[in-house]
Amino acid sequence: MDLLPSSDQQQIVDTIQDFLRNEAPVDRLREFGAIGNSDAKLWPKLAELGFFGLSLPEEMGGIGLSAAEEMLVFQQFGYHLISPAIFGTILGARVAAFSGDAHLRDALLSGEARVGVANSRGAAGGTDAFHLFEADEAELILLCDDDEAALYPRSAFTHIERVNSTDAVLVLERARLGDSVEPRVRVSKETENIHARALMLMGAYALGIGQGARDMAVEYAQVREQFGKPIGSFQAIKHICADMAIRSEAALCQASFAALVMDDASPDTEFHAVASKIVACESAIKNAADCVQVHGAFGFTAEANVHHYLKRSHVADRLFGGLREQRRRILTFPTPA
Amino acid sequence: MDLNFTAEDRQFREEAREWLNANVFKERRPHGGQEMREYDLAWQRTQYDAGWAGVSWPKEYGGMGLGLTRQLIWYEEYARAHAPDNHLCFVGLNHGGPTIIARGSEEQKKEHLRPILSGEKIWCQGFSEPNAGSDLASLKTRAVIDGDELVITGSKIWTSHGHLSDMQELLVRTDPGAPKHKGISWVIFDMNTPGLDLRPIDIMSAPNHTHFVQCFYDEARVPLKNVVGDVNDGWSVAMSTLGFERGTAQIKDQIRYAFLVEDMIKKARDRYGAEFVSTDEFGARLAQLRADMAAARAMTYMAVSRAERDVSPAMASLMRAMVGQVQQRVRRLAFDIIGADGLENPEDDDWVYFYLRSYATTIAAGTLQIQRNIIGERVLGLPRGR
Ligand SMILES: Cc1cc2nc3c(=O)[nH]c(=O)nc-3n(C[C@H](O)[C@H](O)[C@H](O)COP(=O)(O)OP(=O)(O)OC[C@H]3O[C@@H](n4cnc5c(N)ncnc54)[C@H](O)[C@@H]3O)c2cc1C
Repeated sequence: MDLLPSSDQQQIVDTIQDFLRNEAPVDRLREFGAIGNSDAKLWPKLAELGFFGLSLPEEMGGIGLSAAEEMLVFQQFGYHLISPAIFGTILGARVAAFSGDAHLRDALLSGEARVGVANSRGAAGGTDAFHLFEADEAELILLCDDDEAALYPRSAFTHIERVNSTDAVLVLERARLGDSVEPRVRVSKETENIHARALMLMGAYALGIGQGARDMAVEYAQVREQFGKPIGSFQAIKHICADMAIRSEAALCQASFAALVMDDASPDTEFHAVASKIVACESAIKNAADCVQVHGAFGFTAEANVHHYLKRSHVADRLFGGLREQRRRILTFPTPA
Repeated sequence: MDLNFTAEDRQFREEAREWLNANVFKERRPHGGQEMREYDLAWQRTQYDAGWAGVSWPKEYGGMGLGLTRQLIWYEEYARAHAPDNHLCFVGLNHGGPTIIARGSEEQKKEHLRPILSGEKIWCQGFSEPNAGSDLASLKTRAVIDGDELVITGSKIWTSHGHLSDMQELLVRTDPGAPKHKGISWVIFDMNTPGLDLRPIDIMSAPNHTHFVQCFYDEARVPLKNVVGDVNDGWSVAMSTLGFERGTAQIKDQIRYAFLVEDMIKKARDRYGAEFVSTDEFGARLAQLRADMAAARAMTYMAVSRAERDVSPAMASLMRAMVGQVQQRVRRLAFDIIGADGLENPEDDDWVYFYLRSYATTIAAGTLQIQRNIIGERVLGLPRGR
C-alpha cells in the first residue's frame, strides 16, 4: 500500500507538467477572451505524447496504464485550467473503444476529432435540456450519466442557442436532445462504468484547480507588502493559506484513494469517486474564493488570473452533477469496506 | 501508487479480525476513575498476552516487529470490531513509547517499553504549564543536576489522566541561561516520586470524573539516566514526540470516526425515516461527512505512505488540522440527531459526552491555530510573523 506516486508515475507527472507549463500557462486565458478556448490546438500534441489513451488497454489502442496515472494527469489539467473539453475527448475515446468502434476510437485518440460535453441543466431546464460545453466546432458530444455513456452527433441536439458563459473562456450553448435520436456509440454502465470514471477524474481536475489557487495565493502573500511586511506574515492571511493547503491535502488523498479503488474494481468504486468529487470541488471553490480575498482588489479584477480559478471551479462542480446531487447520491451507497 | 496489501498483509488482517471478534471487551468502558484504569489495563494485557500488542514495535521490546502498514491494518480491524478506545494507554503506545524507541538509550528501551505493551504501566504527558501552552518552549519547570540526579521544582498542567498514571514524559528546563529551545530536557518521570502533588481538574463533558490534573513538583528527584536524548537537547526529542502525536497516533481515531458516521446514518434513519433524512439538512450534513471521512481515512493512508519515506513532520499538521475539525462536526451532528434528548446527560450516554469532549480536538496536541502557523510557515514557506 502506497498513496504516493512511484518514480515512473512521477516521471509522467513531470512530463505533463513541463508540457503544460510551456504550452498552456494560465496566462493564455487572458488572450482567449470572448473568442472561445483554443486549447483544442493542444490536443494533437497531447495525443502524440500518449495522454489520450493513457488508461485504455493496449489492445484498445491505449497505453495500458491505470486509473492512478490518469488521475495524476487530470490533476495537472485542472492545475493549468485546461478546457473541460478534455473530458469529452478522453472519455469519448473510452466510449468508442468499449463500444467496439475502433475507427472512431483511433480518430479520437489522435486528437483530430473534437468532442464537446453535454451537461444536464437539471431543474433549470427539464429532462431534455442541456448545456453544451466547447461544442460549437465539435462533431460529437459526450453525454454521460448514471446509466450509460454515449457520443451523440452534434446534429442530435436541437434548439441550439449560444449563451454567454460565466467562465468566459469557454463556449457555452443551450440545447435540447432531439426526440428518439440515437447516439453514434454507447456503453452501458454494466460494460464499463464511465460515469464513475468521469466523477473520479473530475475530482482530480478540481483538486488541481484548488491547488492552483492555493499556489497563486501563497505566491502573492510572499510578495505583496503592506505595513512594511509581506502580507503572508500576517496570521489572518497565513491561516487562510493554511486552510487552502488543508483542503488540497484532503482532496489529494481522496483523489488518490478513489483512483486506486477503481483500479482494483472494488465495489466501493462509485462511492469513492463521488466522495472525491464532493471533497475536491469544495476545495476548488473555497480555495478560489480565498484566493480572491488574499489578492484584495486586484483579485476582483479581470487582470489577475484569480477569477479564472473561481469560475472554472464552479464549472467543475456543475459538470456530471453538482454538490447537492452528489450528496444525495453518496447516501445511497452501502457502507464502504 | 497502490492499495495492494500483500498476501501476508491479508492473512494478518484475517487473523486480526478473527481474534478481535472473539476477544474484544463487550462491557462499556467507564468514563473515569480507577475502574477505567483497570478496564484499560485489562484490555491492553489481553492483547499483549495473545501476542497482538505493539504491531509496529521492535520484537526485542515485546512488539510484533511489523511495519506501519500492518499497524494500519490492525487499527482498521480494531475499529471494525468496535474494540474499546483504551485512552489511558494512548500516551505510552502512541508517542511516549515511540519517542523512546526513536531516541532512547538501550537501557531505557529495556526498562520502559515492555510494561507499556503488557498493560502494566500507564504513561501521561507533562509538557504544558500554566504559562507555557502554545508557546511550549517557554516552559519553566526547573531541573537542577545534583550528582547523578535531577531535582525538579515547578508545575505542569492539563496532564490527562495524571492521577491514574505510573510514568510521565516530562519536559524540564535544565539550562535557564540558554536560548529557550536549547535548555530543555525530556525526562522519564515516575509518578510515585516523593515531592509530587496532584490537583484534580474537572472537565465540562463529565463533571463527575477527573480528566486531567495539575502536577506540582517540589524538589522531586529523578535519576539522571532517565533523560532521553542529551541533557538540554529535549526540544528536538519533544519534536519527535509531537510528530508522533499529530501523525501516526491519529490513525486509529479516523477509522473509528468513519464507522461512527455510518452508525449515525443508521441511527438517523431509524429515528426519522430514510426519506426524511435524505431530504432534510441532516442528509446534507451526513453526506458531506461521509465524503469528508473517506478523505480523512485516505489521509491516514497518506500519512503511513509518507512515514515510510521520511517526509517532513510538518506535513502531519495537515491531517491533524483537518480531522480535528471534521471530528467536531461529526460529534455536533450526532448531538443534533438525538434532538431534544441531547439536553439530558445520563451517565451511560455516549453521544452527549463525546459531543462535549470534541471541543478538545482543536486544542489538544497543539491548537488549530498553531497547526495553521506550522502549515503556513513550514509547509507553505510563508514568512514568520515575529
Ligand atoms: C483534553 C485536553 C488534553 C490535554 N492533555 C495534555 C496532556 O496530557 N499533557 C500536556 O502537556 N498538555 C495537554 N493538553 C494541553 C494542550 O497541549 C494545550 O492546551 C495546548 O497546547 C494549548 O495551550 P493553552 O491551553 O495554554 O492555550 P494558549 O496557548 O493560552 O492559547 C489560547 C488561545 O490562543 C491561541 N494562540 C496562542 N498562541 C498563538 C499564536 N502564536 N498564534 C495564533 N493563536 C495563538 C490558541 O490557538 C488558543 O486559541 C491538553 C489539552 C486538552 C484540551
